[in-house]
Amino acid sequence: MPSTPEHVAFRGQVCLPMLTIAQNSDGGWGYQQGKQSATEPTAWALLALSSHADSREFSPVISRGKDWLRAAQLPDHSWPAFAKFSEGCWLTSLACLALHQLKDSPDAVAAGAKWLCNEWPAEGKLWRRWLLRMIAPRNRVRQNVALRGWSWTPGTSSWVEPTACTLILLHQLFSGAFPSDAERRRKLAEAMLYDRMCPGGGWNSGNAEVYGVAGQPLIGPTVWALIALQKYRERAENQSGLKWLLSTQEQIEGPGSLALAHICFQAYGIEAPSILPALRHAYEQNRFMGNILVAAACTLALDAPAGWLSWEGGR
Amino acid sequence: MSSHAATLIPSHQREVSRVAIRCVASYQAELIEPMTEALREFDLPIRGKTVLLKPNFVGPDPQNQINTHPAVVAAARECFLRLGAERVLLGDGPALERDTEAIVESMHLREYIGTLSECFVDLNLDAPRRTALRTNASPLKQLYFPETVLGADLVVSMPRMKTHHWAGVTLSLKNMFGVVPGNCYGWPKNILHWAGITRALLDINSTVRPGFAIVDGIIGMEGNGPTQGTPKQCGVLVLGDDPVAVDSTCARIMGLLPERIDYLAQAGLMLGHVKEEKIQQIGETIARVQTPFEVLRDFRKLKAPGAGFGN
Repeated sequence: MPSTPEHVAFRGQVCLPMLTIAQNSDGGWGYQQGKQSATEPTAWALLALSSHADSREFSPVISRGKDWLRAAQLPDHSWPAFAKFSEGCWLTSLACLALHQLKDSPDAVAAGAKWLCNEWPAEGKLWRRWLLRMIAPRNRVRQNVALRGWSWTPGTSSWVEPTACTLILLHQLFSGAFPSDAERRRKLAEAMLYDRMCPGGGWNSGNAEVYGVAGQPLIGPTVWALIALQKYRERAENQSGLKWLLSTQEQIEGPGSLALAHICFQAYGIEAPSILPALRHAYEQNRFMGNILVAAACTLALDAPAGWLSWEGGR
Repeated sequence: MSSHAATLIPSHQREVSRVAIRCVASYQAELIEPMTEALREFDLPIRGKTVLLKPNFVGPDPQNQINTHPAVVAAARECFLRLGAERVLLGDGPALERDTEAIVESMHLREYIGTLSECFVDLNLDAPRRTALRTNASPLKQLYFPETVLGADLVVSMPRMKTHHWAGVTLSLKNMFGVVPGNCYGWPKNILHWAGITRALLDINSTVRPGFAIVDGIIGMEGNGPTQGTPKQCGVLVLGDDPVAVDSTCARIMGLLPERIDYLAQAGLMLGHVKEEKIQQIGETIARVQTPFEVLRDFRKLKAPGAGFGN
């Protein structure tokens, strides 16, 4: 889907300035302008700026951002949510994705991926499964806890978004030739995502069914799961997820969700109506609530499809 | 009057708490006058202070059936300003939906309170500060909380009166899960589930205890709450400066026994009053407004005798 002059203008006059102005003096980005630098907005800002056709224009900004991101890596090779935190988390995948996209620090990225492959969520442990079987009501949550992906924070359960982000990273890094540890995690994680799908199509954060009632899908998790599973784009589950996303897009009220949905359609090569009028309206109303993630997602959605969102076998 | 300086007092040493129940027929009714009148009963020292209203914004809600109704939030904001607060902010950190703007736009919040950038804070994106927990009910020991919450002089928990498929009910104490930032712990904040909902709730409320609670019970939710239940007309606002007593009163209005709601019973030991004889009702009586809520099968044990069984 080519960018129109209107897309280029909005991106250049609203999204990109919002990103560049918000860069902190330490090189990172906070979730909003003036807030302390954090891994997630920094990685998103870098992905957005580097995906832009004229990314050379932003070389100094990108360079300082990369420096911040590299410096934030912990001694165990994971990335924390904020630089001052001492424990790594799911954002390791996003940080690695950003550096990989920038062709920067391959050793740091490889070490980050290794950390992810060794980082198991807590719910699948045998004692836990036994305990759940003994005490939990049978229909409380329908899910196969033997299928594990990745958690938001160490020692907790698998959820859709961190699992999908890590799968995207692994596909980008290994291009179909997965080392054995990554291959094992990939298979389990893909099965976990399909297991957690809402009965009516799409995904929420990870509860497909509670007390026999079907979970309601959400835009963000559906987008990330569909992108992570794009290798299986013809599968009925993918198609029903896409169908739900297409049917929902007109009711999407948030620019961040709107941009994410559009990014997903781009990854699947689906022509969708322009989101520019809605983004323009949202910006006039709330200035994206100052949210750097939204500015980055809009930048990506208004540009040509970004390479890191699709891979061989996915198209 | 920092709301975080909550004193942990054993129930037998704590003075009687007061809880106001006001009948309000609908969201179109006059809300500011009855709410201001009720707030005056508590003589809150808020002149010149910063008040943070913490509504319960769970997800996109175009029918206004899940989240704290924007009319109630807007009325509360106006009341606190009238009573002399210098700033009244609104903030929440939804647990499941990352797109907070989609939530507040779906419920037309802007039409009720005006420009969001002037008063709304997405607590999931706010700068976090590590804080030692004041109790050790859970193994967490410390949590990050948003600067906006820690910096407010008074935090007002404003939940909607709902049943909850994990905790039994979600009221002002459970609503405080929303002050734990997603940018540190994810969506949902799963670390709290692993620490145990009851125990984590106690630790959060002992550390960033809401200094006041206003429960939107005009239309609540019964059954499979907090998002997939059925709207329940109840026609009340419940207010008070002891959130445990407010929640216990709400539970009784819902036809439930607060002593059997695990986290409320535990909170009643140190954080406020659960026992009916320790709560002085202002305004309407519980008996006059009691509206039994349906509960999921697992929570039938919470039902007060004579309140009928849920689905």
